[in-house]
Amino acid sequence: MPRLPTFDPDCTIFFDGEPIPARRGEPVAAALLAHGRPLVSRSAKYHRPRGAFCLTGSCGSCLVRAGGLPNQRACRTPCQQGLTVQTQNALPTAQHDLLGAIDLVYPHGLDHHHLMTWSGIANHAAVAFSRRLAGLGTLPDVEALPAERSAPASEERFDALVVGAGPAGLAAAEALAELGRRVLVADAEPAVGGRLRCRYGLRGEPDLAWAARVVARVTAAGGEVALRTAVLGLWRDGGSPLAALDADGPPRRLRLVRPGRIVVAAGGHPQPPAIADGDRPGVYGGRGLAVALAEHGVVPGRRAIVLGEGAEPEALTARLAAAGMEVRRLRSAEGGRVLGRARVRALELAGERIPVDVVAVATPPAPATELARELGAELVLDATTGVFALRVAADGRTGVDGLFAAGEVTGTMDGARAAEAGRRAGEAAR
Amino acid sequence: MTKTFVCSCEDVLLDEVRRAFEAGNRDLESVKRYTGLGTGPCQGKSCVALVARELLRLGATPAEVLPFTVRPPYRPAPLGALAAIEPADLPIDDGVPVHPAEARTPAAELAPLPARADVVIVGGGIMGLALAYELTRRGTKDVLVLERAYLNAGASGRNGGGVRAQWTTPTMIRLARRSLELCDRFAVDMGVNVWFRRGGYLFLAPTPEQVERIERNAELHREEGLRTRVIDRAQALEVVPELDPSRFLAASYNPDDGVVFPWPFLWGYAGQAEAAGARIATFTRVTGFETAERRVTAVVTDRGRVACDLVVVAAGAWSKEVAALAGVALPNRPTRHEILVTEPMKPWLDPLVSVLGNGLYFSQSQRGELVGGMGDPLEPEGVVQGSTLRFLARFARAAIDCIPVLAGTRVLRQWAGCYDVTPDNNPVLGPAGFENFHQLSGFVGHGFMMAPAVAELYADWLTGKGKHEIFEQFTLDRFTRGPVAKEDFIIG
Repeated sequence: MPRLPTFDPDCTIFFDGEPIPARRGEPVAAALLAHGRPLVSRSAKYHRPRGAFCLTGSCGSCLVRAGGLPNQRACRTPCQQGLTVQTQNALPTAQHDLLGAIDLVYPHGLDHHHLMTWSGIANHAAVAFSRRLAGLGTLPDVEALPAERSAPASEERFDALVVGAGPAGLAAAEALAELGRRVLVADAEPAVGGRLRCRYGLRGEPDLAWAARVVARVTAAGGEVALRTAVLGLWRDGGSPLAALDADGPPRRLRLVRPGRIVVAAGGHPQPPAIADGDRPGVYGGRGLAVALAEHGVVPGRRAIVLGEGAEPEALTARLAAAGMEVRRLRSAEGGRVLGRARVRALELAGERIPVDVVAVATPPAPATELARELGAELVLDATTGVFALRVAADGRTGVDGLFAAGEVTGTMDGARAAEAGRRAGEAAR
Repeated sequence: MTKTFVCSCEDVLLDEVRRAFEAGNRDLESVKRYTGLGTGPCQGKSCVALVARELLRLGATPAEVLPFTVRPPYRPAPLGALAAIEPADLPIDDGVPVHPAEARTPAAELAPLPARADVVIVGGGIMGLALAYELTRRGTKDVLVLERAYLNAGASGRNGGGVRAQWTTPTMIRLARRSLELCDRFAVDMGVNVWFRRGGYLFLAPTPEQVERIERNAELHREEGLRTRVIDRAQALEVVPELDPSRFLAASYNPDDGVVFPWPFLWGYAGQAEAAGARIATFTRVTGFETAERRVTAVVTDRGRVACDLVVVAAGAWSKEVAALAGVALPNRPTRHEILVTEPMKPWLDPLVSVLGNGLYFSQSQRGELVGGMGDPLEPEGVVQGSTLRFLARFARAAIDCIPVLAGTRVLRQWAGCYDVTPDNNPVLGPAGFENFHQLSGFVGHGFMMAPAVAELYADWLTGKGKHEIFEQFTLDRFTRGPVAKEDFIIG
C-alpha cells in the first residue's frame, strides 16, 4: 500500500526513463517514495546510494536532473505530466552505479589529501582521474534556462518581512497584521504551516485552519504570504537590511525587499542520525515523512523505526501506524548501525537486529540561525541539545536593530510555545 | 562498507573529524577546511551541529565550535535569477559580516611562545609559510610564524587558485614559470595534494585596444618561451564551446597555465616547516615591536614577547597595519575582492577564463564547482571581508554575458578576501624603516601564485645565497625615488 486511498496519482513522471505515477504538484521525492524508490542519487565521493533525507529542501542528498536542469532537489521539484528526472553522478544510473565500487575499495575512507603523493606520474594520473569523477550534474539544457531566469527586480516595500510560515512566523505576522502593518511572509515550502503541516494536533498547537486565517488577515492588511519563495539572504547593501527572495515560479521571480523590520522564524534543519551507515536510502526526517503522508498519502514503507522522545515522535509513530505500518519507537539509535545498501533493511542496535525499511528521525532540528547571523545576531549554546541557537530576549529582540527571531531558531520548543514566541516577537516588531 | 558520516554532501566521515582534531585543527573553521565538511550543497545545515557536538566531546571549547561564518545564499540560487538585480542600484557596503577570528583556544592548550627566535615571520599565509619552509631547508631553522587567526583565514584561503605565466615583464613571467614548476611538484615534494591542473588561461579581449595589448604580450611571451597564442573567436570556441562569441574579438591562450586548490599549500608548507624545526603559532596577534636604534629587537604579541634577529612582515592585506606598529608607513591599499562558487558540475571547462577590462574571471575547480570573482572599481581601501548582494548581481550578469548557459548554474556560497594593492601593482620587498624589518607584501591579488618562487629567492637572499633583481627593483623607497612602471595585467 504505497499510498493511502483517495490519494490517486494523476500524472506520470519519468525517472531514468521509467514511468512513475505521481500527483501533480507533489514533490518528485514524494512520488518516488510512494513508488517504493528510496534511492535517488549517489554521493559525491564514494558513490554511496542516497535518498531524499530531509524532504524539506535543507540537506543536499536528493539532487537530480529535472526538466533539463542539473542539481535540482527532488524534494523541492513539483511533479507535472511528463517531467523527466534523471539521476546524476552515476555510471550508468544511480540504481546500478558501477562507481559504487569506490565505497568498497576504500572501506575505511579515502584520504584525498595524501592520495598518490608518492610519485609524480601517479599523482598526475590521480589528479586527472579524480577530476573526471568529480562533480554532480552536467550543464543545463539551453531550452530549460528560462526557468532559471527572472524579470528585472525592483525594490519592494513592506513594513515587515517574516521569514518562515510555521507557527512562530505566522503568529508574528498575525500580530503585525492586526496592528495594520503590511507584512511579507516568505516560505520556501509550497504550503503554509511549517511543522503544523504534519497535522499532529499536539497539545496547545494551532492548526492549519488558523494558518489559513492568518493568511487572510495578512492579505487583508495589504501584505502577502509568498510560498515557494526562499529568502536567499539578508544583506546590508545600502545600509538598512535588504532581503533577496527567490520565488520558484513559474515564472521564476527574484524579489528585493527592504523591510522596516524582520522576524526570522525559519525553524530548523533536520539532522541526520550520527550512526553507522545512517546515510542509507530509507532514513528520513520525521516531519518530511509526516507531511508527505498527510498531503499526498505517501506510505513510505512497511516497517518503521521512529527515533526520538516526546510528543512529536509519539505522534509520528501513531500516524505511521494508522497508515498501516508496523512501527516501533526508540529514544535513540546511538551506537547502532543501519543494514542494507540500496535501501534500509534493518537497524542493528545493542545486538538486536530489527528489520525495518524506514528509519524516521524525529529528534529536534538544529536552529536555522544563518539569516539572522548575516545581520549580526548572536548565538548561544543550547545546553539541552548541544547546538547553537539565536540569542533573543523574551520578546524576540536579537540586539540587532529591527531584527527579531522566534520559534525553533531560538532553540528547541514545541509548536504551541513557538506560536506564543512568534506573537510576542510580532508585537515587539510593530 | 560501513561508514559513519558527519557530512553527507562531501562524504566526510566522523573519523576524519577526529583525526583532524588530533592533528591540531581544534576550531570549526579549521576542521571545515581540512575535512571539507559543510562546503557542499547544504552548506553545513546538516552537519555543523553534529560536528560541534563531536568537537566538544573531544575537548574543544564552545568558542572553538561556534558555527563558521555564514556565506550567502541561504539556498542555492541560479545565476540567471541573480542577474535580475541591477547592481548599480546597490551601493558598496561592508556586507555580511565575517565570523571574527575569536575562536580562541584556551592558553593552557597552547604551547607557550618561545622567548626568542632567529626569524619571526608575521603572517601565516602562503608567503610566510613558504618562506619559513625555504629558510629551514637552507639551515635557518629557528623560525617562528605568527598568524592572527587559523591557517587559510586570509587571502591565501580565499583566492581563486589561478597560476599563470601570462605576465607583461620578463621578471614576472620567469617568477610565475618557476611557481608553475613548483606547483607541478608540490604534491610529491610536500606530501599533500594541491590538485594542480594545467587547463590553461584564456583571456578574452572585447575591444581592439585589448586585442593590441594581448598581441604585444604574446610576442614577449614567445621570446620568453611560453606557448601563448592569440587566437580568434572560432579557435576560442574550440577551447570553450559555451562562450558567447559576440562578446569578444580575440583571446590570449596559454595552455600551460593552471589552477590549484589553495588550502593544502598552507598545510604542506606549514607541515614541512614544522617538521624541520620551525614553529607556527596560530590565533596569535602582533600588537607591537620593540626597537633599538636601527633595529627591531622583539615582536610583542597578545601571547607574550619574542626577541628576534630578523622580522619579515608577510601579512598580506594586514601588512600596512602591522608595519605601522613599528612606525613604518607602507603605501599599500588593502582592497576587498569578492568571489563565489557554484554547485559542482561534471568537468566541462578546462581553462580559467578572464575578460579583460571588466575584472571577471572564473575556472572550474577540481571538485567541479565554478569558482569566480570580479573586482569592483568602486571598492574603497580597507580590510573588509564581508559579502555583498551587489557582487552577486555584478558577477551573475558578467558571467552570463560571457557564457549564457551559466544562467542555469547555482551559487552555493560567496565570500571575500583582500588584495594588497600597491601604487605600481608590484610588491614591496626587503628592509623598510629598520635594517632587520623586512617586507614581503603588496602582491595585488597574485601573491598566491608568486609565493612558491618568491619564497625561494627570499630565503636565498636572507641566507647569503645571492640577491635576485626583484630585491633591488621592488624596494619600498622606489616610490619616493621617482616614477615607477606599472604592471597592468592584474585581474579580478
